[in-house]
Amino acid sequence: MAIRPEEITKIIKEKIEHFDTSVDVSEVGTVIQVGDGIARVHGLNNVKASELVDFGNGIKGMAMNLEYDNVGCVLMGTDTQVKEGGIVKRTGEVISIPVGAGVIGRVVDPLGRALDGKGEIKTDKNMPLDIVAPGIIDRQPVKQPLQTGIKAIDSMVPIGKGQRELIIGDRQTGKTAIAIDAIINQKNIPENERCICIYVAVGQKQSTVAQVVKTLTDFGAMDYTVVVSATASDPASLLYIAPYAGCAIGEYFMWQGKDVLIVYDDLSKHAQAYRQMSLLLRRPPGREAYPGDVFYLHSRLLERACKLSKENGGGSITALPIIETQANDVSAYIPTNVISITDGQIYLESNLFLSGIKPAVNVGLSVSRVGGSAQRKTMRKVAGTLRIDLSQYQELAGFAQFGSELDKESQRQIARGQRMTELLKQNQYAPLTVGEEVLSLYAGTHGYLDELNVPEVLPYEKQLLAYARTEQKDVLKELNSSNELTEELEKKIVSLLDQFKTVFKAGK
Amino acid sequence: MTNSTASRAAKRYAAAYDNLSTTTAQAVLRAEELSSAAKALLGVNDLLNAPTVPLTQKQEAVRVALKNWPQVASFVEVLLGAKRYNLLTQIVDDVRALTDQRQGILRAQVVSARSLSEAEKQHTQEVLSARYGQEIKADFQTDPALLGGLKIWCNGELLDGSLQGQLDRLQEELIK
Repeated sequence: MAIRPEEITKIIKEKIEHFDTSVDVSEVGTVIQVGDGIARVHGLNNVKASELVDFGNGIKGMAMNLEYDNVGCVLMGTDTQVKEGGIVKRTGEVISIPVGAGVIGRVVDPLGRALDGKGEIKTDKNMPLDIVAPGIIDRQPVKQPLQTGIKAIDSMVPIGKGQRELIIGDRQTGKTAIAIDAIINQKNIPENERCICIYVAVGQKQSTVAQVVKTLTDFGAMDYTVVVSATASDPASLLYIAPYAGCAIGEYFMWQGKDVLIVYDDLSKHAQAYRQMSLLLRRPPGREAYPGDVFYLHSRLLERACKLSKENGGGSITALPIIETQANDVSAYIPTNVISITDGQIYLESNLFLSGIKPAVNVGLSVSRVGGSAQRKTMRKVAGTLRIDLSQYQELAGFAQFGSELDKESQRQIARGQRMTELLKQNQYAPLTVGEEVLSLYAGTHGYLDELNVPEVLPYEKQLLAYARTEQKDVLKELNSSNELTEELEKKIVSLLDQFKTVFKAGK
Repeated sequence: MTNSTASRAAKRYAAAYDNLSTTTAQAVLRAEELSSAAKALLGVNDLLNAPTVPLTQKQEAVRVALKNWPQVASFVEVLLGAKRYNLLTQIVDDVRALTDQRQGILRAQVVSARSLSEAEKQHTQEVLSARYGQEIKADFQTDPALLGGLKIWCNGELLDGSLQGQLDRLQEELIK
């Protein structure tokens, strides 16, 4: 498109003509000290807590500490252009972010500026970042399932829409992978039930975020996903507001009656960013040098995840916060805080991961406090005995080496446990539909795997699903849509599995 | 010592000094005395700030320098004894603010591109006191960089009517 100079001249002329030449009145203060992303400002007599202030040169700050004779502000940008004696203006606003359909498919920073080079974000609404969570009357209980497409999670730690489920584990245990799979899986879900997904990267490497965005794009998941990114190179203030920004974007859709899935990756870095700000603002340190209000930092964020009542449109925000532990220590400060705030946790263990169990979910320690009631009846029926089978297996696993000296029942339990553990393994980026999950778990819990050798379990499952997808589409379709495992449906599954048994044997 | 504890201490000394006076007129007089005394002490500042000089010698120097203002001299001696002499300039400002408060005066700083005539100064002060409902004492300065118009700091507000300010805002507008 050619740019016509006269058009530009016209626009500029118009702007100059309509320019307001009246006296500009602003409440001001002066910078008395600046450094480490913190500025102390004298003046600003009427400034309010967490108000946005303007340092000029396009640099904004947030008033955090209102003290006796100065105001402690955090800078939302570099501090190199802010000078001692510089003028700071009040804006009378709190920080807000553009929200609306225009942000879907985009990568934005916590202030709503585009990071993906696709031009300015075009929306007509702004939402303040820090909103008080909806009250009791506005909500209804969690009762719809949110499918992650991961067998181990959908069967044993089911997540409901509006729930807050923590993903916790050491580094390199596949925490992000679970969240990304849950986002990719939304593609499998019919559009009216599909969640809008928001991935909030807090303190991640730029390369990691780029990788995530590429993965989501490759799987076509960016069509319904927003990525909010505050990377390790951004100032702590941006890391601090990033989860709230993601939540504000989600809340807009929630109040439109839509379902939203938010991943906060990860809240340990968020707490560290807040600790940095607090210590530099000279707030007193507490346990592990975190400030006293670090619990409130996360509780007010996660409390905003909810399922709205019918009168409010019935939208929901499901939160999947991620916490990174050090050496599997879940009793550190931030992990215990977030465990107590959330409605359950998915606990990933590095030794499981290293022994090849991926996703490395520790079944005993992972729980979902509200998701059970939201689980589909088909899934609940199939997976009912799964947890018990596995925990019995783990109890007996130590004796497994004695082999034939064990009684028959114990041997059976060990065999079942080994096969179920094998069945729950799942590759990354390969989420399954509910029907597929139910089918393969049914095969496992009803003894169809018992006659196979353990290494044959995964090939069996793979071929079974391929067979069902091509030869028995109707059964799979019915499994995907039905909420109840009727006798009739169960008969169909059994006949499918019996038919496949011959196919599989012939193929060997 | 952080900035804020120092200024808090300065405010307390200022309040104590201001409390010596019972009437407004007395307070104004005392504030002026203190401010001229502070100016007079500028010459011996190095001596008074030097850590190696004994306190008695410093007090002696103050008594000599401020022999016209014995009350101020004893106030400065107290400051020296408490090792708070470095706060003197801040205390002078704070005392002035307190006497302003007693008199109901608001200080303003008016910057213009060229020097203003007496009538213009008068008019500016009148407009400002109408705006804030208090008597205004303005300090007039010139800064050619403003190009035209006035820039006024008063009561924590910046009233920017300067040409330069308008151009800056226009620039921001156009960049948007």
